[in-house]
Amino acid sequence: MSQNESLAVILESSPQVTQLRRASRENDGFDFSLSIEPKGIPELARMLKDQGFFLEYLTAVDYGQTMELVYSFSKWIEPDRVQAVCPAWPMEAAPSICGVFPAANWQEREVFDMFGLEFKDHPDLKRLLLIQEEGLHPLRKDFVAGPQHSGDVVETEMV
Amino acid sequence: MVERFETPPPVQLGILNQMLDLCRANSLWPMTFGLACCAIEMMAAGASRFDLDRFGAGVFRPSPRQSDVMIVAGTISKKMAPIIVTLYDQMPAPKWVVAMGNCAISGGPFAYEGQYAIVNGADRFLPVDVYVPGCPPRPEALIQGLLELEDQLTGGAKRNYLRRFKRHPGNDQE
Amino acid sequence: MLRKTLTDDTFYLNMGPQHPSTHGVLRLLLRLDGERIVECEPVLGYSHRGHEHMAQTRSYLRFMPNPCRMDYLAGLMYNHAYCLAVERACGIEAPPRAQFIRVICAELNRISSHLLWFGAYLLDLGGFTPFLYAFDDREDVLSILGEITGSRLTYSYCRFGGVARDLTPKFIELTKAFIPKLRVRLKDYDTLVSKNVIFINRTKDVGVITKEQARDYSVTGPNLRACGVPHDQRRCEPYSVYPEIDFEVITADGANGEGDCYDRYLVRMQEMEESLRIVEQALQRLPEGPIRAKGVAQEPAPPPGAYQYCYESARGMLGIYLVSDGSRVPVRMKWRTPSFSNLSILPILLPGTLVADTVAILGSLDLVIPEIDR
Repeated sequence: MSQNESLAVILESSPQVTQLRRASRENDGFDFSLSIEPKGIPELARMLKDQGFFLEYLTAVDYGQTMELVYSFSKWIEPDRVQAVCPAWPMEAAPSICGVFPAANWQEREVFDMFGLEFKDHPDLKRLLLIQEEGLHPLRKDFVAGPQHSGDVVETEMV
Repeated sequence: MVERFETPPPVQLGILNQMLDLCRANSLWPMTFGLACCAIEMMAAGASRFDLDRFGAGVFRPSPRQSDVMIVAGTISKKMAPIIVTLYDQMPAPKWVVAMGNCAISGGPFAYEGQYAIVNGADRFLPVDVYVPGCPPRPEALIQGLLELEDQLTGGAKRNYLRRFKRHPGNDQE
Repeated sequence: MLRKTLTDDTFYLNMGPQHPSTHGVLRLLLRLDGERIVECEPVLGYSHRGHEHMAQTRSYLRFMPNPCRMDYLAGLMYNHAYCLAVERACGIEAPPRAQFIRVICAELNRISSHLLWFGAYLLDLGGFTPFLYAFDDREDVLSILGEITGSRLTYSYCRFGGVARDLTPKFIELTKAFIPKLRVRLKDYDTLVSKNVIFINRTKDVGVITKEQARDYSVTGPNLRACGVPHDQRRCEPYSVYPEIDFEVITADGANGEGDCYDRYLVRMQEMEESLRIVEQALQRLPEGPIRAKGVAQEPAPPPGAYQYCYESARGMLGIYLVSDGSRVPVRMKWRTPSFSNLSILPILLPGTLVADTVAILGSLDLVIPEIDR
């Protein structure tokens, strides 16, 4: 499809893209998967927004030794889905894309909450879902629920 | 299990107490306290098909200051527990608690090795009077739970002529 | 501390987490200047149960009861989406009869979800009668679904590769009786509510979302379609048997690209009618055949890789992102729930409105908070 080809050309020309892989919608669920350096994320987001994309979600995956950030962008009505993967911990922190997509505000806060990954220049990076406890990042592979997390321990004082 | 704490009333009214208990039982006003999925079954119990109004308990009050019974319907997360205690403290005595659903009884399907976010049941910090199991319990089960609570207040069919409902033969009721 | 020290005449009002109209446990920290809202901050997490953590620590089969408890009003749709995602990852396809059955059940679930939304929204705005009527219709749908799934609210009916049980003749008979009954009822609701002057005053030009805001905040579902964007996963990225079924994507005629609460109401009411059409067509075309694919492992282990599935749930676009390393336990399962993005637009919709409008706007977005908190 010519639309896909033009999108591929645009994606390849984006700075900091290290690898562009074509995927199939029936087997994988997205059209393109690209690996990108963290520095290039805001530029890619801006470019995709100009093309009419919106941010579907932003999440992280913990593989044990490394973590990755996964961004998914899609369009209305004729969705081309682009997935961008960038290395996170123990590499440098990724910049925030709140300026481009305000939807990323809460998504990044949730990633910080669950994984402990920080985003540079986020307006208000604080926990979204969990209680205010230092070091509680449950979706990390090295998270072990301690005795204070047991279901029988109840904090009944209002903070 | 948390024990009920209630000071006895300063004036003992004798047989009038039983009358008052009967009145309280027939007009238990629940607080709209739905946390998760069980809230929908609680709403369905209060809606048209399984009417709670016929038992006097259909008046769901949003404010704890105006309610008698708190139906804890849904999973209790650790963030929510202090708020539940505050709401319970705001309810005027006499007050009762019904733990509806498996999550409010013991954590339900979310209690497992490695859970970090929920409290294993309402009775860890509240004195629960009736447990209604199910995930979610059918509205009929909630109605049975409320009738059980009413029996606890009035002594049930054993003591009270006015509470002797006509029961189906074959049911193992007393 | 969430609250800033205030030096002007504004004050903080806490709406929730226990409030009759917050659709779950949502806390809204509102900063008010008299009756007008200056700032709004939603505080979440009161319903967080660790679904994604459970997905990482148990196998695909053992996770099956969880999706329906995320969004309990569209439980069967989440169950359907989960099975479709794992089937895509494993490369299995369910037989045609099972696909038609799943679509029938998913659309009935959409109807029951919209009926509950209708009842609860009108209850929030002060009208008690539609709540009772909507719940009566909803009970009919729940009896139909309970006939084959066995439960009323939290369904785990779909299996990897098909469905658990076949349709019974009673199911088909009940559904065929229900469809004309609901059509009559929808006309009644239209007469009762759509032209009601109080309802119109409370919802017209209230909570207007423009197309740019919808794109910025990733709003999907009926909220987006009320802005005039005909984006529906069932039509744009068709899955299951939707390509064979003729239905319309309902949008409000957002001529200026804006949707207010009234448009969102109209879109949802019309969507119920479209769902009835889909159920009718699916019942007509229901093929004979097996209901489960052969050779599907009890505990599937998808090949290593990342897979994504996008589904149109009652509230918007549901996305499941699945990372597998070849074992029976996923490395990561991310649930992109529609209410998460739909709620994030609230802090920009509310400033300048009255407190009473908060309830109207919040209700019209059709949020289910446990699917935000997961």
